[in-house]
Amino acid sequence: MRPFVYERAEEARSAVAAVADRPDAMYLGGGTNLVDLMRLGVAEPARLVDVSRLPYDTVGVRPDGALRIGAAVRNSDLAAHPAVRRAHPLLAQALLAGASGQVRNMATVGGNLLQRTRCAYFQDITKPCNKRNPGSGCPAREGDHRNLAIIGHSEACVATHPSDMAVALAALDAVVHLEGRDGPRTLPLTELYRLPGDDPRRDTVLDPADLITEVTVPALSFGGRSHYRKVRDRASFAFAVVSVAAALDVAGGVVRDCRIAFGAIAPVPWRARRAEEALRGAPATEDAFAAAARAELGQARPLRDNAFKVPLARNLLVRTLTELVVA
Amino acid sequence: MTGIDTRAAEGARSAQGIGQSAPRPDGVLKVTGEFAYSSDLWLDDMVWGATLRSPHPSALIRSIDVGPALAMPGVLAVLTHEDVPGDPFYGLERRHQPVLAVDRVRYQGEPVALVAADHPERARRAAAAIVVDYEVTEAVTDARRAAFDPACPRVHEEGNVLRHQPVRTGSVFEAPVVVSGEYEVGMQDQAFLGPESGLAVPAEDGGVDLYIATQWLHVDRDQIAPCLGLPAEKVRLTLAGVGGAFGAREDLSMQVHACMLALRTGRPVKIVYGREESFFGHVHRHPARMRYEHGATRDGRLVYVKAEILLDGGAYCSSSPAVVGNAASLGVGPYEVGNVAVDAYGVYTNNPPCGAMRGFGAVQACFAYESQMDLLAEACGLSPVEIRRRNAVSQGSHLITGQLIDAPAPLADMLTELESFPLPATTGTGSDLRDLPGGVSQTTRGEGVRRGVGYGVGIKNICFSEGFDDYSTARVRVEATPDGPHALVHTAAAEVGQGLVTVQAQIARTELAELGVEEVTLVPADTSVGSAGSSSASRQSYMTGGAVKTACEAVRERFRELAAGHPGLSPAELVERFGPLEETREYRHRPTRPMDPLTGQGDSHTQLALCVHRAVVDVDVELGLVKVVELAAVQDVGRVLNLLALEGQIHGGSAQGLGLALMEEVQVVDGRVRNPSFTDYLIPTILDMPPMRMSILENADPAAPYGLRGAGEPPTLSSTPAIAAAVRAATGRPLPRVPIRPQDIALP
Amino acid sequence: MRLNFTVNGRATAVDDVWEGESLLYVLRERAGLPGAKNACEQGECGSCTVYLDGSPVCACLVAAGQAEGREVRTVEGLGGPGRLDPLQEAFVECGAVQCGFCTPGLLVQAHDLLERVTHPSDAEIREALAGNLCRCTGYEKILDAVRLAAERKAAAR
Repeated sequence: MRPFVYERAEEARSAVAAVADRPDAMYLGGGTNLVDLMRLGVAEPARLVDVSRLPYDTVGVRPDGALRIGAAVRNSDLAAHPAVRRAHPLLAQALLAGASGQVRNMATVGGNLLQRTRCAYFQDITKPCNKRNPGSGCPAREGDHRNLAIIGHSEACVATHPSDMAVALAALDAVVHLEGRDGPRTLPLTELYRLPGDDPRRDTVLDPADLITEVTVPALSFGGRSHYRKVRDRASFAFAVVSVAAALDVAGGVVRDCRIAFGAIAPVPWRARRAEEALRGAPATEDAFAAAARAELGQARPLRDNAFKVPLARNLLVRTLTELVVA
Repeated sequence: MTGIDTRAAEGARSAQGIGQSAPRPDGVLKVTGEFAYSSDLWLDDMVWGATLRSPHPSALIRSIDVGPALAMPGVLAVLTHEDVPGDPFYGLERRHQPVLAVDRVRYQGEPVALVAADHPERARRAAAAIVVDYEVTEAVTDARRAAFDPACPRVHEEGNVLRHQPVRTGSVFEAPVVVSGEYEVGMQDQAFLGPESGLAVPAEDGGVDLYIATQWLHVDRDQIAPCLGLPAEKVRLTLAGVGGAFGAREDLSMQVHACMLALRTGRPVKIVYGREESFFGHVHRHPARMRYEHGATRDGRLVYVKAEILLDGGAYCSSSPAVVGNAASLGVGPYEVGNVAVDAYGVYTNNPPCGAMRGFGAVQACFAYESQMDLLAEACGLSPVEIRRRNAVSQGSHLITGQLIDAPAPLADMLTELESFPLPATTGTGSDLRDLPGGVSQTTRGEGVRRGVGYGVGIKNICFSEGFDDYSTARVRVEATPDGPHALVHTAAAEVGQGLVTVQAQIARTELAELGVEEVTLVPADTSVGSAGSSSASRQSYMTGGAVKTACEAVRERFRELAAGHPGLSPAELVERFGPLEETREYRHRPTRPMDPLTGQGDSHTQLALCVHRAVVDVDVELGLVKVVELAAVQDVGRVLNLLALEGQIHGGSAQGLGLALMEEVQVVDGRVRNPSFTDYLIPTILDMPPMRMSILENADPAAPYGLRGAGEPPTLSSTPAIAAAVRAATGRPLPRVPIRPQDIALP
Repeated sequence: MRLNFTVNGRATAVDDVWEGESLLYVLRERAGLPGAKNACEQGECGSCTVYLDGSPVCACLVAAGQAEGREVRTVEGLGGPGRLDPLQEAFVECGAVQCGFCTPGLLVQAHDLLERVTHPSDAEIREALAGNLCRCTGYEKILDAVRLAAERKAAAR
């Protein structure tokens, strides 16, 4: 691990200033991902600005029903919050599926959104990786990619985004609130992330000095009818092989509205707008759900060893939506 | 360091002899955080060692420049192969593994250079600053090519086949019913939780004292001392707390390295591997590729078995020859069959070195022969239990090596009992969703879930085989204390978690009861007493248990002579007047013989142990998720010494078998390990392991102390094929490879 | 840097801490508390579980500076010889300890469960302990121990 300076931020503006001046400074939240990456030598900040004690540690409900989530709220507290469990069960489920109790007790909302990929080549500094070392190549394309992307990837990078929570938030049209060099601004969560294209270095559109302060989740009338479902290689505490976040509004056997996002199949939390489009007004049947899955996954371009994710994602979506009809 | 006082266990009753579930004497220390594991050791002027490892599976070393590392602050020493004081090679069976790479590296992770510094992070950074100029060469990564392609480069001069062991008997290789298959077992990691670590302290006599977590102190010492250029008596080893072993501590890891740095710097040197380094620091279970053909009569009686078992030993020998011997001699399982052609091969490649892991060699073969028995059952229209019962060995049968099974081996009865256990209730709609496949992810409410039941049978050799002169040593001393006679038991046997310390004290209490001994103290295991042999091959209750028993009997014999001469004195008075009474004894099991190199024939095994498993699984066939609902086991242990500890061995062994069946594999691509972390190498969690039902039989082996039979390994053999069979039953898929992963069973 | 925090109820100051050290390293190598174990350094195995301001966390993932001014409770703070917590007693009695390397972390995590839930179901115990790996026991005896401790704690209330 490279030596670094540690400082604790007292308020947001000074934190932004502390990072804005220095190209190799980084924010530290719960540390569950960054401390690990530093130990692996993947992240080598010269200065860590600890923002975990900034006063963004509460969850509230706005008069319009939108959920306000402070960026420093711990994953365990968010998952347990009554408003989340009642109005957005898929979010609580995603958080609980995300990690062990000990890790949830540390991990923050802001940090969770900015997790780096679990691609083995990204994590191993002795290997080429276009994300970590631009231009060095992507050994995953020909090498071990069983759990990497089937959609949205590029020649340069086939990594997946590891977060469960972000998948639920992507489905919920969450909005990210930022404090940056030029003051505060907001961004839809689905626009926070960027596809790798020719330049996989950055996972998001953020400037290094941008500090996530809050996430808002607009009210969703049918948010109570939602699930987050995750397939993984063991019963608990493993990254997703495929996951689905879905909310469904059904009346008279017809889908009035829905929200769908996939996890672990793309470089970003994958909002499935084509599937949603196909479903609105369609009968709430397994056939229609399968057709919606095909509409989305028809774009998939699986690699040699991960084609199984296509049917798996389809089966998981059909299963999840079917359950929501029954629920 | 002080001994473990067995009175320290709160709630321990006196007179906790054999057969009682005596609590662990080190239990209180372990639950209060006071037990000193090898990674917890600490001395005031201690410094830290770090290891630079090869990033390449195969390369020549052109040059090593240690200058940049030496120039860094806090660095005390940087060492390469040129600094090895004595023999530059070590090894369990073949002394050919370099202490530090000399002119080439043969696997990714091979140690190249060492650093000592005043902070572990500084040591790591300095190691990273060493400049090694490699010339990368072609890596041999395919075991079949390594074994059979004459054009394949040689990993070692001797050639790539390190051992080929045939077994030949009979001449009939035709039968009415024939089934065949090709099977694979992935590379499993022992994944003990306490990483490799130890503390080397330079001594005034020019020697070194090493506090170390290991499985066999004496064979460590006998490898270390020549490398250091020191006589054995100047290399003194003491067992530090061991955080699990399972075979991974049978070979050396950081032992010579820490001693070299301590002797060079004159300071105590501590080395502790991180988890990633641990994956490179010890051997793994051999991955295996196996071809089997079974011939049988129409009513399911075995006529012949042909098998080819290919075991990838990786870059160095380790204990591969023994693994090949086990796979060959036990290659058809505990079944009677008169015509056999088995060929087991151990092969060098540039993959990670493989060696001992719980059940070594027998585990791999068991997956294949049990898969075959299920195919045969189907071909003959018999149930999986019936096909096994019809061919089961029993006392009086012969192994394919010609060895007579002269102790009880009631396999048919074990299967009948296993089959009689009630099946768990069907998990369906309405039950706790967490009990369904997908567990806490709640991926199903019962849709797409199919139940499967499978059986597995395994046979394992207990103690060392093939003519090895195996023994254990115990020193027992009874002395007077104000509380009455007290026993000290001293052996070099490694307590690795299995509970040997508990059993040793129980034996001493039992054998010394007539001396009035209730309190027993175990002297820390070290090399000042004779060798105890290895804590492996399920052998320590047998061997060190036997040694403690024998030494106690010798003490008791002297006591009886004294008592006869002084009839008026109480035991306590006798011990007070004539004590201390001390005796040291070596214990040997009956001799074994090598396997014939051409036919494999010979009485190669000391003892044989059987375990049978039934697995019940629910499989979500749409999502590829498996939930093991229940594991049931029947095991014959000869004699129960400590039921609580024994059950723990069966639970733990079964869990490791479950891991191999469903998730565990060190993934090696082009000679490089892709998942050296607990994030990416998955072992079962408490949510993966189901409740177990078990029955323990006590059919004594007359040749063994108390009639006991080693118990640690057998459950690891049979749980894997039982689970695989259950998943096959649920899915109808052939599943010829473990671990079985979601993509192998999810419906397209 | 200097680190001030409270460990097992005692105000503690540690000097010469390097910023890159974890709370686990500080506890083990600087504060003389080796009870919490380092087995994976990634928060995957739970062997380093300690209470941080009353919540169990993986100490290996807490940067030293993050512990400034906070309260830490380790396995050593649950109870010592002669004054064992019922959970510690139950682990010894039920055979939940083999090599014991996972034990300190499991004890802290299970202790937290029993503080929150008086009569946990098996499913609740399993879910709470899913972040603590054990390689020796197959977890059965650990379940036994947590059930027994829950009974005893409830009876003592």
